[in-house]
Amino acid sequence: MTRCFHCGEAIPEGVAIFATVAGADEPVCCPGCKAAADWIAGLGLDGYYRMRSEPSLRPPESVDFSAWDRPALRRLHVREHARDRAEIVFLVEGLRCAACGWLIEQTLGRVPGVREVAVNAPARRVRLEFDPTTVSLAALMQRLAQVGYMPQPLDAGALDSARTREDRDALKRLIVAGLGAMQAMMYAVALYAGSFDGIEPATRDFFRWLGFLVATPVVLYSARPFFAGAWRALKARHVSMDTPVALAIALIYAASLVETFLHGSDIYFDSVSMFVFFLLGARYVEMRARHRTGDLVDALARLQPSTAERLTESGSESVGVHELECGDRVRVAAGAAIPADGVLVSGACSVDESLLTGESVPVRRNRGDAVIAGSIALEGPVEIRVERVGADTVLADIVRMVTRAATGKPALVCEADLRARRFVLRVLALTLVTALGWAYFDPSRAFAAALSVLVVSCPCAFALAVPTALTRAVAVLARRGVLVVDGDALDRIARADYFVFDKTGTLTRPEIAPAESLVHRGDAADALAIAAALEQGSSHPLAVALREAAGAARLPFVANRRNVEGAGVSGRVHGRNYRLGNAAFVTGGDARLDLVLADEDGIVAEFAVRERPRAGAARALAALRADGVGVGVLSGDRADRVDAIARELDTSVLGSGATAAAKVARLEALRSQGHFVAMVGDGVNDAPVLAAADVAIALTSGAAIAQAASGLVLAAERLDELARVRIVARRMHTVLSQNLNWALGYNLAAVPLAALGLVPPWLAAIGMSASSLVVVLNSLRIGATRAETRREQPAARLAGVPA
Amino acid sequence: MNIILLLIPLSIVLLVAGVAALFWAIDHAQFDDLETPGLMPLTDDRREPPP
Repeated sequence: MTRCFHCGEAIPEGVAIFATVAGADEPVCCPGCKAAADWIAGLGLDGYYRMRSEPSLRPPESVDFSAWDRPALRRLHVREHARDRAEIVFLVEGLRCAACGWLIEQTLGRVPGVREVAVNAPARRVRLEFDPTTVSLAALMQRLAQVGYMPQPLDAGALDSARTREDRDALKRLIVAGLGAMQAMMYAVALYAGSFDGIEPATRDFFRWLGFLVATPVVLYSARPFFAGAWRALKARHVSMDTPVALAIALIYAASLVETFLHGSDIYFDSVSMFVFFLLGARYVEMRARHRTGDLVDALARLQPSTAERLTESGSESVGVHELECGDRVRVAAGAAIPADGVLVSGACSVDESLLTGESVPVRRNRGDAVIAGSIALEGPVEIRVERVGADTVLADIVRMVTRAATGKPALVCEADLRARRFVLRVLALTLVTALGWAYFDPSRAFAAALSVLVVSCPCAFALAVPTALTRAVAVLARRGVLVVDGDALDRIARADYFVFDKTGTLTRPEIAPAESLVHRGDAADALAIAAALEQGSSHPLAVALREAAGAARLPFVANRRNVEGAGVSGRVHGRNYRLGNAAFVTGGDARLDLVLADEDGIVAEFAVRERPRAGAARALAALRADGVGVGVLSGDRADRVDAIARELDTSVLGSGATAAAKVARLEALRSQGHFVAMVGDGVNDAPVLAAADVAIALTSGAAIAQAASGLVLAAERLDELARVRIVARRMHTVLSQNLNWALGYNLAAVPLAALGLVPPWLAAIGMSASSLVVVLNSLRIGATRAETRREQPAARLAGVPA
Repeated sequence: MNIILLLIPLSIVLLVAGVAALFWAIDHAQFDDLETPGLMPLTDDRREPPP
């Protein structure tokens, strides 16, 4: 089968369009791809085809960008620096690899009036500086669409300069702290050696001042976020995690400085630098993880279209979505996204809400029914009366939920913070008692003893115990395609002893069974090829299944393809009119199987649809059972189908034909039996069920709302990672309590000795550094064993899938 | 031993130079995108000089 040179889709039979790229004729699938390829080659940019690692998007058919130039939209998205200098940052759909970034820079950079184009490929963002008096934004966006990229506006407030600055600042602080800590430790080694072998006081003081020199930028520059955080907390009259850290840094630094001046016994510039470096390292990892979740929010925000077609008395006009008001009537073309929550005022239509709810089957909406922003009208055009706009829409609610989940602090960390805070208050009290006690008995030793208590009990082991373990576990899982939305979910999944699975879409996917299908006329392979051709370009699970079943067969060319009424598709193939869909749509209800193909003379073929367990589902269940975890299926599907799948996967059935309420009741029953229940699912019916479980895991191919209600997001084709997620989570649990026990045990042993004056401050400093090193190294053990990282052989490709 | 009076200040000067170089690199977007620039040498850039 030939594939399109530009977009990589299969080229239908009978299509012979060629684009000339680098002197050779390359086959393409449609005039749009030809235009894009010719355009790219004509500009001398054909290097793109050599560099890209992903096929391009099929160029969108004509899109109207005039709304981008409307003042209301520009006010929100464009930052005007001067009359002839404006800046915009937008997201680009279809920006898949670095070569795309290069192509966009080249394409836009050649337009007169463009001052600067900067593409950030990982974040899919483009920053464009242009001269609005020379070139209009709409023309630039048109140019971008011509090469196959869809621009999506971002709020001007979301200009990523803030994020970039945060990233750069953190990196700088980390580098200063790291280099400073290394130098300070080197000088400290000389001092430690000197205190054993003897050292001239002058040389000793020289090294002390050197330590001061390198520790000063670490404390005054790198540690500034801690001081700022402590100061903010102080102004708000409470104590934050930054308070003890800032206090400890300031006290150790000041005490060391005083000691250096007084030619006292010991200094701690190395300890303070190392402490700052470790804490900043943990924060840096945490910040990177937070920015990654920011991308998820962007993806959700992109669901809402940026422009809408508003109906007026004289006709219609293209306006920015932000200009819509309640009561406006908008027209939505077939296949376009609905711009605002509203009520359908034209006739019935099917709506694809899969991106919002995970329900892959289109939903039927009649006149007067509510439709939500971000869903896609499958037929059209339809008319909608706007009811809620902007921040009031359901979509905006979901985005807010995800944002909150991404920025909230896990209870685990809060708890550790609280513990460390109490600990610090006690240590401060103890330091005071020690100082007063020694001042009474032997004033000359008061300062050294008090300092020993402060240094030896430095809260860093406590402060690092939880965040290092948590960030390490999140990082290990992220490398395996598992996104941790809520840090607490990891803690809870480690405790879960019962995993409940949804069936449809979670454990299974639909598949065409050629053996059970009925062919009334002609050849089975031809019928399948025609059906697959009719469904080409659709992402519906059944359409994907049909294309897989057709395999490498040459697909015929389809003319007049139409999606009809959400029940099927029709089109002209080989000069005959075909219809494909459910029995009611194709024949009026007279067929035996689920999916029917018919032409003008009646039924050609009926395809049997059966559900097939997802790759990895059996392995995931077996691995969980081997760990002694209870496993069950809870589904809304018919009992016989659920039983068949449960038998195939060797698992128990908790319920079939269950409504969402019944599922919730079943989960409650399990919990009241003392089980700690994890729910794995996707789909709209699952959202309340996911929320009712102790911990929820959503699959990425599923719903945004399900993700919002869940703590973990897993790629659907990586279901077999589930057991490993649990192993990593349990490991994190173990490491975490080891860390806390170590910090507690160390402090209980060391603090009393220090208070009695038995620990010289230099030993205290080594103890403190070592205790935090132990915590960090212990956390790094997560993900270090084979069971947690081993990559299994990729699942054998399903039969019929072209390699 | 007096050699350390020369070598240690020298090492600190080098340290400062290193930090300054890294700051310059970070401020000039050298660490913002670690993927795209790697492809740049593979292309023949035929962009005309600005008029």
